[in-house]
Amino acid sequence: MKKLAFAAALIAAAIAVSLSFGSSHREAPLTALDPTADDTDIYAFVAPDATDKLTVIANWIPFEDPAGGPNFYRFDDRAHYYINIDNTGDGVYDIRYQFAFKTHVLNKNSFLYALPGVSSIRDPKLNVQQTYTVTREKLKKGKTVSEKVVARNLPVAPNNVGPKTIPNYTAVANQAIQSLPGGGKVFAGQRDDPFFVDLGTAFDAINLRVGTGNQGGGKDDLAGYGVHSIALQLPKSDVTIDGKSVSGPAASNAVVGVWTSTERPRVQVQGVASAAKKHKKHGKKSDDSNFVQVSRLGNPLINELVIPLGQKDHFNATQPSQDAKLYGKYVLSPELAKVMNLLFHVNAPETNRTDIVQALLTGLPGKTQIGKHPVPADTLKINLGVPPSANPNRLGVLGGDLQGFPDGRRLADDVTDISLRVVAGELKGNHVPLGDGVDANDKPFLSTFPYVTATNSGFDSQIPKPITPTHAPTP
Amino acid sequence: MHQLRSHIGEGPLLRALAVTLAVFAAALGTFVLVNQRGSDAPSAAGGVSVPPSASTDTRIASYQQLVRSHPSDSRGYDFLGDAYMQKVRETGDASFYKRADGVYTKALQLNPRDPAAVTGAGTLALARHDFSAALGYGQRARELAPFSFQPVGVVVDAQVELGRYQDARRSLQQMIDLRPNLSSYARVSYFRELHGDLSGAIDAMKLAVSAGGGAAENVAYVQTLLGNLYFAVGRRADAREAYRTALETFPGYVPATAGLATVSRRARALRLYRSAVARLPLPQYVIALGELQQAAGKRPDYALVRAEERLLQASGVNTDVDLALFEANHGSPARAVSLAKRAWAAAPSVRSADALGWALTSAGRPGQGLHWARRGLALGSRDPLFLYHAGMSAKAAGRAAVARAYLSESLALNPRFSPLYAPRAERTLKELGA
Repeated sequence: MKKLAFAAALIAAAIAVSLSFGSSHREAPLTALDPTADDTDIYAFVAPDATDKLTVIANWIPFEDPAGGPNFYRFDDRAHYYINIDNTGDGVYDIRYQFAFKTHVLNKNSFLYALPGVSSIRDPKLNVQQTYTVTREKLKKGKTVSEKVVARNLPVAPNNVGPKTIPNYTAVANQAIQSLPGGGKVFAGQRDDPFFVDLGTAFDAINLRVGTGNQGGGKDDLAGYGVHSIALQLPKSDVTIDGKSVSGPAASNAVVGVWTSTERPRVQVQGVASAAKKHKKHGKKSDDSNFVQVSRLGNPLINELVIPLGQKDHFNATQPSQDAKLYGKYVLSPELAKVMNLLFHVNAPETNRTDIVQALLTGLPGKTQIGKHPVPADTLKINLGVPPSANPNRLGVLGGDLQGFPDGRRLADDVTDISLRVVAGELKGNHVPLGDGVDANDKPFLSTFPYVTATNSGFDSQIPKPITPTHAPTP
Repeated sequence: MHQLRSHIGEGPLLRALAVTLAVFAAALGTFVLVNQRGSDAPSAAGGVSVPPSASTDTRIASYQQLVRSHPSDSRGYDFLGDAYMQKVRETGDASFYKRADGVYTKALQLNPRDPAAVTGAGTLALARHDFSAALGYGQRARELAPFSFQPVGVVVDAQVELGRYQDARRSLQQMIDLRPNLSSYARVSYFRELHGDLSGAIDAMKLAVSAGGGAAENVAYVQTLLGNLYFAVGRRADAREAYRTALETFPGYVPATAGLATVSRRARALRLYRSAVARLPLPQYVIALGELQQAAGKRPDYALVRAEERLLQASGVNTDVDLALFEANHGSPARAVSLAKRAWAAAPSVRSADALGWALTSAGRPGQGLHWARRGLALGSRDPLFLYHAGMSAKAAGRAAVARAYLSESLALNPRFSPLYAPRAERTLKELGA
């Protein structure tokens, strides 16, 4: 359901493995756990307080325990983080926002993250500071047309250590909200993970606690955990195919697809020195000039529910434009539907699931389809012409709320319940009111940018697991 | 939805589905496997929940519970085996290798095509220094999971230790192309180090540190290796910072404590080594402590080394190379030679060549010793200790000019590469009139 769960799966295999202590021979870890590259979720919506803009929230680094040592959680300085936009419907990015980070240790002789009493985001008492550069790339059929640094040296919100270290954390973290030229906004730093799910239910082979999971009773297993968020708010005209604003839901430029990705330098084994010489001949930069995509995320369902375990590394390395060819069969005949039928006899259609392909990959015609002949691609489609709902429904489109997932994805959209129901066949008229019993995040979201809220402080962290109160069945 | 409820709790059906379920659960990416009763009572799930911050002991207990409830699913055993391997990493208690062996074997019986089980068996073979077996497991896992980088890592490590450096280079490039991360960057660093590209090795290890990992211990490990590289080139302040960062990441981390000892004054270094040995009595720390005691004119205590080696051997670990060097320096040169010959036969790496050369020299055959020392340096390695072995062998073989060159290079890299051997190298250079 969510990328972080994937990471969690790997923790077992991951933490490991292998150092032979008896020896001088070198055995580096063989870990699959790679939180700094792991994009957990992407949200895309038109916020009620910024109706002329697209808002994207992208999260990395799952399961941050705020008490787990503030030095441990930060963006990888050597990776490139991306928010990608496809406005032509070919599954290839047309616009990319690249985020590149740099860590500064102000006092190299100190190993403290911060001294007590940090009062601003550039306070020298904040010994470890991260800054970043935002670069906007425009591309045509995947080839870069222009590349422009739109902001540099922006501060990252510090980790929420505790009230003694950062007495007014909210104010300090809010200084990470920065304006972009042209009317946009950006924020980067630690936030409460907005995802909510009863992992015990969902991952215990849908071991429903109460009824079909539509009566509450679920346990939010992500309560108390943080992530590193990048929030980006852009005028719609910055992302549309024609560079213009969007007149309404039926406008030809209304729909775009968004997704995140992470890239790391692909080094040459033989060494930088010899590689640099070689590259000089060809007039190229050495070392960091060549990047490999190590992770990507679009819809909150595809990677976890659909892509088989042995294909996940491959999925993470490939582009959305390839999805139909490489992974189409897994979407058309999802394993989950078979398991659901065996378990619950819910009559979920097991083959020819063009309804899922349409909802997530090609887009719903007239709603979330980009252009006339879109390539099936795992990008999160959003119709920028749909105005914000006055009464948002956590079940989104399934709940009759046309602004919610799978038309974009708002922070409060209950993608776990939606996904279970869609796989059970909701879009084909097979209504099974499944759910995990958790209906909302444990912490309320903010009504203004960056919308995602601060984590509990490390000092106060308990990683609580609140139980949602039981309620009458939702329809 | 009672129609739905009525199907929950049908034990036999669910049991029949156990494997399917596990596949499904894994597809979801579970850290919560599974109580197959499927009860609808709140929290009666009793599923195995292992949060990322769980200690290795908690993890082991959870996975033991998991394999009890799912005795026919190979993946539970994979998780348990990996947790046992991590336990060795943290405690040095090699008896957990036997347990890991048992569960990987069980997993492979259940599903010979489970890539994680084959990879696990490969990492265990690496840990026991059975590199030929490790190579076999790695290659098999790679066939089963061609897009995963972890099997390639097993192949790389095995090829390096078997001295197949060209193959290792190709495999390692494939690994980095599949997935540049802590695991692959750290291996690139070691490969460059073996080939004498120490600044390239430092660059790659910095990438590993920056990439980070999910387990603090893994991150502390690469931070410590970065410290060791700085130490090798004599950048003591940078080395100290790297070790202290590792200790910040993983408080009490023994390899970093030992690293810190190498850049500390004698009294502090003795304290640090003693605390390292007390917590993790591994031969390498006992030897380092003994050599420092020797350098200080005290009586070293190496008794623990042989006891530990016996324990390791009892757990199936082949300790020939390490023991050969120990015997050459502090024990029986004749034993050193036979151990090193056996090590070379099993794993013809530069490390084995160096050990064989030094064993031969210590046994009074410096001509042959120099020959093998040169093979140890054939890749261009600039390991101060390899160079010291080559220089001292050359001196004993009457090759003064060669000896001078090796010993000066060793000391130029790091004039304090060892409390015991660096002063000997200096004295020898003086005798040679350099």
